Amino acid sequence: MTEFAETSKATSPVVECRGVQRIYQQDSVPVYALRGADLTIHAGEFVSLAGPSGSGKSTLLNVIGGLDGFDAGSVTVGGVDLAALTPAQLAQTRLHNVGFVFQAYNLIPVLSARENVEFILQLQGVASQQRRSRADRALRSMGLAELGDRRPGELSGGQQQRVAIARAIVTEPVLLLADEPTANLDSKTTSELLAVLRDLNQQQGMTIVTATHDPIVMEYTSRQVTMLDGEIRQDDGVTA
Amino acid sequence: MDTLVLLFNLSLRNIVRYRRRNFFLFAAIAVAVGGTTLSNALIRGWQVYMLETAVSALTGHIRLQAPGFADDPGLDKAFAADTDIRLGEDIALAGVAQRINLPAVISSERETRGVALVGINPAQENISFYRDFVMEGEALTGPADGRLVIGKALADTLQTQVGRRVVVIVEDADGKSRERGYRIAGVFDASMQWPEQLLVFTGLQAMQQSLANSRLPAPVTEVSLVLQQEENRQLAQRQLASQHPELVVKDWRQMSPQIAEIVDIVDATMAIWFVMIMGALTLGLVNTLIAAVMQRTQELGMLRALGMSDRLLLTQVVLESVGIMVVGVVFGLILGVAMVFGLGDGIDLSAFSESVEAFGMSTLLRPVLNLEDLFLFGGLSVLLGLLASYFPARRALKISPLMAMNR
Repeated sequence: MTEFAETSKATSPVVECRGVQRIYQQDSVPVYALRGADLTIHAGEFVSLAGPSGSGKSTLLNVIGGLDGFDAGSVTVGGVDLAALTPAQLAQTRLHNVGFVFQAYNLIPVLSARENVEFILQLQGVASQQRRSRADRALRSMGLAELGDRRPGELSGGQQQRVAIARAIVTEPVLLLADEPTANLDSKTTSELLAVLRDLNQQQGMTIVTATHDPIVMEYTSRQVTMLDGEIRQDDGVTA
Repeated sequence: MDTLVLLFNLSLRNIVRYRRRNFFLFAAIAVAVGGTTLSNALIRGWQVYMLETAVSALTGHIRLQAPGFADDPGLDKAFAADTDIRLGEDIALAGVAQRINLPAVISSERETRGVALVGINPAQENISFYRDFVMEGEALTGPADGRLVIGKALADTLQTQVGRRVVVIVEDADGKSRERGYRIAGVFDASMQWPEQLLVFTGLQAMQQSLANSRLPAPVTEVSLVLQQEENRQLAQRQLASQHPELVVKDWRQMSPQIAEIVDIVDATMAIWFVMIMGALTLGLVNTLIAAVMQRTQELGMLRALGMSDRLLLTQVVLESVGIMVVGVVFGLILGVAMVFGLGDGIDLSAFSESVEAFGMSTLLRPVLNLEDLFLFGGLSVLLGLLASYFPARRALKISPLMAMNR
């Protein structure tokens, strides 16, 4: 497992991207998804990556999460240079240090809500009793204490996304990445979910980065980063 | 271990989740395995019948004769009836039969034929086909019974019947032809032509008295042994050969090489049959499992995104594949065993009796269930399932978490 450096100090960066480029080949034509993005995220920040479709916000999120590689520049997460990690080490990093919340919830349909949350702890090798209590605690914090035995198909979209958040935070990750987490939700559920994320950030100090094109999301985040054509155009967290 | 339980649990639930697709997959595997189990049991039944026929045709699993007797049979190549036959305690005997088996000429008032005159102790012949003969008239009462029992086909040829007298000419121990009149005690139906045409039985003791000389007062020309387990054949053969270096000790494979070859061919046929059926099934399984993996690209990609290692992902896909195969094979074996028991009385092939006998088969084909076959078959099927899971597993490992997320 790749050990992360101590990142709890408010001043130390959890994420540091320098000149990150990501180029895809489309019919032998290079398409620049990221054109030298620079971004530093400190512990305890709640950052929204906004921008239109194709602006590179999801790509940057995937690069930070170790789901996608990059062609130039450097990315360090928790002080670890992602370029130096093997695919297996990247998987370990994701398992132990990064929580993911996806647009499509991506819960395991054959497992109950509690089992979905426990699943990731089981991958980490956490003992069964501890697993159960931690999963219940995470579900309780999402207001789902009574729904632990239900399978994803028996839950509403908002409830499923809460289970996904419970799964993402149960491992107490250094960083929580959310890719369009409210895209499939109605406005009321969106507000409820964003309040949950804000509470996680404000009460537990969890560092959260979310990609979104929804202006409501930006109202809840403490820092807004706007991207366009693979570049960071505006970052209200950067002082000149 | 905990993780393995998790993966097993996950695999099981995924199998249940796609129950319709997997039902047809289970059914295909079960029908293939069940059908192959039945056909193998029928082929094995044919094989066992041939082996029993070979062994019961006065050869036994092992037979002892004097050197040169097989090429030039005669009483001058006999040995003493009290020759000690002893096997190790680990080899159980089903029975031993001593005989005099000599070429002879039998004549009725109308016809003359060359036959084999066989002196037997009827009580010892529970290891040969003699016990199964359907007798018209009387059977031999014991080794001292000096009457004859002849085959139905021979009786027809000689135009004789029970109670009539025939004359048998045979060479004695001194090399002189002895002619003796016998009364026919019984006519047997062997359900095979050659024993009925060729074999003529009389009491061993009576034959010894009429043919022996002072040098060998109680001669026999052969001793046949049938073992409880055929697998002990070679060990028993070695033991007897070392005990009796003055005799030739042969097993049934040496005595009936054609049948031995057929038995081997049957084994090979079963293997080829298994490979063909299961090969086709495996290809189908691979195809379905790859489709199943493709159907779950997003889910598997998500597992990778969350940090599931390649090893665990591979294990999960393999567990699912093997799980499907195991369930299908178990149901298939149950189906196959049920069909075998259902056909326990055998399949009546008497409508095709001529062709069937040409293949050395009985007109009643009884399936024989061999536990070893079941275990081997079941084990190999699961192994094939394991191999079949390689391709979908490899496909699963190629799924990028990012690709899965973007679907």
